[in-house]
Amino acid sequence: MQARLFGPGLPAAGQACEWQTDSGRIQWAGGETRLPSTGGALRSAGFDLAGLELSWADDAGRWALQVLAAADATTLRATPPAGWEEAFAQLAGTTRRHRKGRALGWSALALFLAAPLLLLAGFFAFSDGIAGWIAQRVPQAQEEALGEASFRAMQASLKLRDEGEAARAVREIGSRLTQGSAYRYRFHVVEDKAINAFAMPGGIVVVHSGLINATRTPEELAGVLAHEVQHIELRHSLKGLIKQAGLSAVWALATGDVGGALAGEAAQRMMSLSFSRDAEREADNAGFEALLRAGIDPAGMPAFFDTLAKQAGSAPELLSTHPASEARRDALAGRLSSVTNRRFEPLPYRPWPPAP
Amino acid sequence: MAMDVVDYEIFGNEMQYVEVELDPGEAAIGEAGAMMLMEDGIQMDTIFGDGSAQQGGLFGKLLGAGKRLLTGESLFTTIFHNEGRNKSRVAFAAPYPGKIVPVDLTTVGGTLICQKDSFLCAARGVSLGIAFNRKLGTGLFGGEGFIMQKLEGDGMAFVHAGGTLAVRDLAPGEVLRVDTGCVVAFQPSVDFDIQYVGKLKSALFSGEGLFFATLRGPGRVWLQSLPLSRLANRIVMAAPAAGGQSRGEGSLLGGLLDGDNE
Ligand SMILES: [Zn+2]
Repeated sequence: MQARLFGPGLPAAGQACEWQTDSGRIQWAGGETRLPSTGGALRSAGFDLAGLELSWADDAGRWALQVLAAADATTLRATPPAGWEEAFAQLAGTTRRHRKGRALGWSALALFLAAPLLLLAGFFAFSDGIAGWIAQRVPQAQEEALGEASFRAMQASLKLRDEGEAARAVREIGSRLTQGSAYRYRFHVVEDKAINAFAMPGGIVVVHSGLINATRTPEELAGVLAHEVQHIELRHSLKGLIKQAGLSAVWALATGDVGGALAGEAAQRMMSLSFSRDAEREADNAGFEALLRAGIDPAGMPAFFDTLAKQAGSAPELLSTHPASEARRDALAGRLSSVTNRRFEPLPYRPWPPAP
Repeated sequence: MAMDVVDYEIFGNEMQYVEVELDPGEAAIGEAGAMMLMEDGIQMDTIFGDGSAQQGGLFGKLLGAGKRLLTGESLFTTIFHNEGRNKSRVAFAAPYPGKIVPVDLTTVGGTLICQKDSFLCAARGVSLGIAFNRKLGTGLFGGEGFIMQKLEGDGMAFVHAGGTLAVRDLAPGEVLRVDTGCVVAFQPSVDFDIQYVGKLKSALFSGEGLFFATLRGPGRVWLQSLPLSRLANRIVMAAPAAGGQSRGEGSLLGGLLDGDNE
């Protein structure tokens, strides 16, 4: 192997030599020496540290044998000379650590410079997955704060009707459906002819009086409530909000600043937030199970679709925010037919709908 | 590519120039701005890259160009070739007071690492490359010394040292600490590291003498007593009306960000 030897009596700039790595013999024009098998030191060498230096001392002074060609150094690392195995293993270890540290240093710098871009690009590319991922990690307290702030922001434009028979029925049915939930639910009735209901993150459910009046039985109302509650339990509202409001929502949730602009924006979006078909199916199924657990006849759920279909005029608001389809109704009806024990105590609110 | 064997002669004492004698068909590469005179028969061409055989293919050329851009070097090298029938001479002059250092690359193992503004000229076939120091500390602290120029081949190369030249031969393990700006060139056998000595605050505001290059033998190092940056600093300081900017020799990222090549 071609190497360069530095040492006593040799040119200061080193002596080109031929090194027989197996025997340890080092030869050059006019001399030769031998690589000792003990007492030597090893280090990375060369400006780019791709090479190796083996150094040792004897009576004459210090010697250094360098192999700077990267290919030769690689060969040498694969088969270290006799007696140098441990030094090579040690050097490999520290080099790996240094390389790791260096890589870490550079990646940190690169990440720091590119982070905003990456975040933005990532957000658009995977907004669904990311919104879901973030939504799962927002602490419940933040979620409640967001819902509360949004509700307050829209409260001025809502005519709350929290007294009376209808509101009492909504609260009671709601609390039966949310037994054992981690959220503290609040149910509000709002005077509004539009057939609609919406759920806000953290446990606020708002039902329009128009919806209550459109239902033919309290079980139909229970079906709607069960569905809305599941949008909260499954964090659909939060996820949708994060996806729509994007980075500002993430920022606000991360910093805990959910007041001001975001709350207003959230309130506005909340009413027009439409869920995906998957989310609707999920909320239907989980709502159906919740009705069964609460001992409320789930037949009200598919029945309400028929009620909606019979509504005269344009499509109710509810359908634009909760995409409905024949498939949803049929799926619920199918579920219903597989329920064996169909004896449910009817809900006590009669006559229905209650007088406003 | 085979190296062209050039004969040369250095003239002057403190303001030197080197005359390179080219046989018919031989060539030398140099910084265009350093050319002083060309005798009859010498032709000058500007080429992309450095004229060595190493930059094969378009990709290689682009890579080389990218590296040169990164270090603030010019993308083009000027090649001087003798198209005549007789020997002819071309001369390159040192840009400021100092010494021209002739280095026969064969005597140093074929590679020389040098400060990026110290290269003057070389025989055709010597490749001008860039070498990055792999030590993180060097990258963070010293612009100078992080990226150096790498001269490879087995011909003659000429570098310039400002002020008075000091050549030191380091025995294996021998350590020498120098101001980063004072390093002209060294053999790749020499371990090179930048050490930060001083307070960060003063480094940011003055950048003077706070970074040491630690050179550890074995091998030969070439040092200059008057780095261009130091000279420039004094001149700028003495002429405030010129509105020049102070350049630190070893200030944070100083060498990365400055670009004193035209
Ligand atoms: Zn829904």
